Amino acid sequence: MDMTSLEIRNNIKLLGQGPQTIMFAHGFGCDQNMWNMVAQAFEGRFRVVLFDLVGHGRSDLAAFDPGKYSSLAGYADDVIEIGRHLNLRNAIFVGHSVSAMIGVLASIREPDMFENLVLVGPSPRYVNDAGYIGGFTQDDIEDLLQSLAENHLGWSAAMAPAIMGNPDRPELAVELTNSFCRTDPAIAKHFARVTFTSDNRDDLPRVKARTLILQCKDDIIASEQVGDYVHRNVAGSRLVVLDATGHCPNLSAPQQVIDAINEFV
Amino acid sequence: MSLSDRTGAVPFSEDLEDLYENAPCGYASIDPTGRLIRANHTFCVWTGFDAQEILGKRIGELLSVASRIFYETHFAPLLRIQGFCNEAAFDFLKKDGTKFPVIANAAERRRHDGSLQVTRLVILLATDRRQYERDLLHARDTAERGSKDVADLNVALEERIAKAAAEQLRAEHGLLAEIEVSELREQFIAVLGHDLRNPLAAITGGARLLAKEQLSLRGQEILSLLNDSARRMSGLIDNVLDFARGRLGGGIGLSLSREPLEPLLQQVVAELQVARHEAIIQTHYAISEPVECDRVRLGQLVSNLLGNAITHGAGDEPIDLDARSGAGQFELSVSNRGLPISDETMANLFQPFFRGKVRHNQRGLGLGLHIASEIAKAHQGSLTVSSTQEQTCFTLRMPSRQTP
Repeated sequence: MDMTSLEIRNNIKLLGQGPQTIMFAHGFGCDQNMWNMVAQAFEGRFRVVLFDLVGHGRSDLAAFDPGKYSSLAGYADDVIEIGRHLNLRNAIFVGHSVSAMIGVLASIREPDMFENLVLVGPSPRYVNDAGYIGGFTQDDIEDLLQSLAENHLGWSAAMAPAIMGNPDRPELAVELTNSFCRTDPAIAKHFARVTFTSDNRDDLPRVKARTLILQCKDDIIASEQVGDYVHRNVAGSRLVVLDATGHCPNLSAPQQVIDAINEFV
Repeated sequence: MSLSDRTGAVPFSEDLEDLYENAPCGYASIDPTGRLIRANHTFCVWTGFDAQEILGKRIGELLSVASRIFYETHFAPLLRIQGFCNEAAFDFLKKDGTKFPVIANAAERRRHDGSLQVTRLVILLATDRRQYERDLLHARDTAERGSKDVADLNVALEERIAKAAAEQLRAEHGLLAEIEVSELREQFIAVLGHDLRNPLAAITGGARLLAKEQLSLRGQEILSLLNDSARRMSGLIDNVLDFARGRLGGGIGLSLSREPLEPLLQQVVAELQVARHEAIIQTHYAISEPVECDRVRLGQLVSNLLGNAITHGAGDEPIDLDARSGAGQFELSVSNRGLPISDETMANLFQPFFRGKVRHNQRGLGLGLHIASEIAKAHQGSLTVSSTQEQTCFTLRMPSRQTP
């Protein structure tokens, strides 16, 4: 796949300049706009890569292959593909929420490509297991899938063609309310299932990259307990607990996120 | 005339405090850490908490787990990005843990620097509407499943039809090809039978007439060569006709008889000696019980085997023809000395038009052994070959009596 096709597929945005590249990956729910308040702080010193996971934001929805994306490995493949096309070496991968684990998988497979990982609100497994508290039960996840079906956030069948048919005309969607977190409900449900049933606990000890974990207080998606688990299982990782609540410090406490990443890199 | 004028009552100017507390919707104000800093009376009544209890609670605590995830992953980020978020469906939890479905809108109040001061949430009870939406979703899922089933069925049907059509087409092609082959075969036989045989008969007849003339020595030699060639050509035509009829047609037909075999074999040997007088053929007959066979065909088989032995054998060594019958079996073998047959040649020996390595003195179409083998099969027997440094031996084995 050539760069133009990749750029369209993942709606890749390249900003800034620098000898090192920092790649930001959004998590479950929205798109690359999640990084709006953080990414620009790095444009001066780094080449900044922003992209949408396929099926989200302004990615090419036609490229959504439920088979390929039936596990996080499919998304990690895309990250590596983008990395190869950009000739990434010793890059920094910043992954929020589920993309933290996508980054873990990508760095295990391409250790030279991503030598630095910043995991924002990571969780290797969301569902409780014997001796492990992920925070959710299987029933909770089923309820979530139902709840996503009811919350289309402005997505309707009538509007879908305009969004899906014109990935090269962002102006069509710009004025549409809720566009940042608008996802085809079928894809949203699929991604939610993949995300919340994933189990990457065994991958954590295989991480060789320098790793920074950013943990919020009162994060009901990825609790401090889960953050500690990731910290204990990724050798040499550094854990920073931000003075922020919720699951999205990149939006609620962007300056703290910027400072923590700056200190790390 | 206004209402107040008519009733004489004091005009009601809205009581904003009451509007807030007892509005037909819930109000909740949330600080940047996600904690409730104020909620109206309506919301307190719906949740079952009193006004003091509810303060300081995290909004997530008041939501079902699924709604909590949705709030954190979609609603809160959208609020931060665009400042508002409308028409989200949530399930709130009452104090006793039971859920109540709502639709909520929210907007941020921001400070001058854009930082978040407070998030205001408006909550509308939506039990019936949400149930209705769920029913619609359910109906849509059912319809989608149904149409998917129909689509799958269509695909399966189309595949089956395409497959059947392809098979039909193949069958028709096959049939056509078979008809073509069969037509060609008949033409082939007709050409050989008439167009070749008739001129050959004219040549043979002419030669016979010439033999009665006074000829020079050279003329007699040429006539002899002419007769040899005509006989060989007649043999080739017979072979090709047999092949065409036997191999492509319905097999070799037999007209059986039980007359003594020995005179037939002697005649075949004599005929060959006339044509190939350099050959030494030693015969050994031990035919103790009569053999039921098609005499013309058996003669053809022996003639083919002897001709083959003369062609490929060592010219100065004798060829042995053995024939014996007894205990219900008839066995006939033709052996010659000379170079053994290679394994590669052995494998294809009985294939039609197979001629092994072409040698300058090799003649024929490569049908002789094939036809001999077919004649053996037609007699419920077999034709086998063994080849060593000492000798090459073809053996026919068949029952003395043919069972219908």
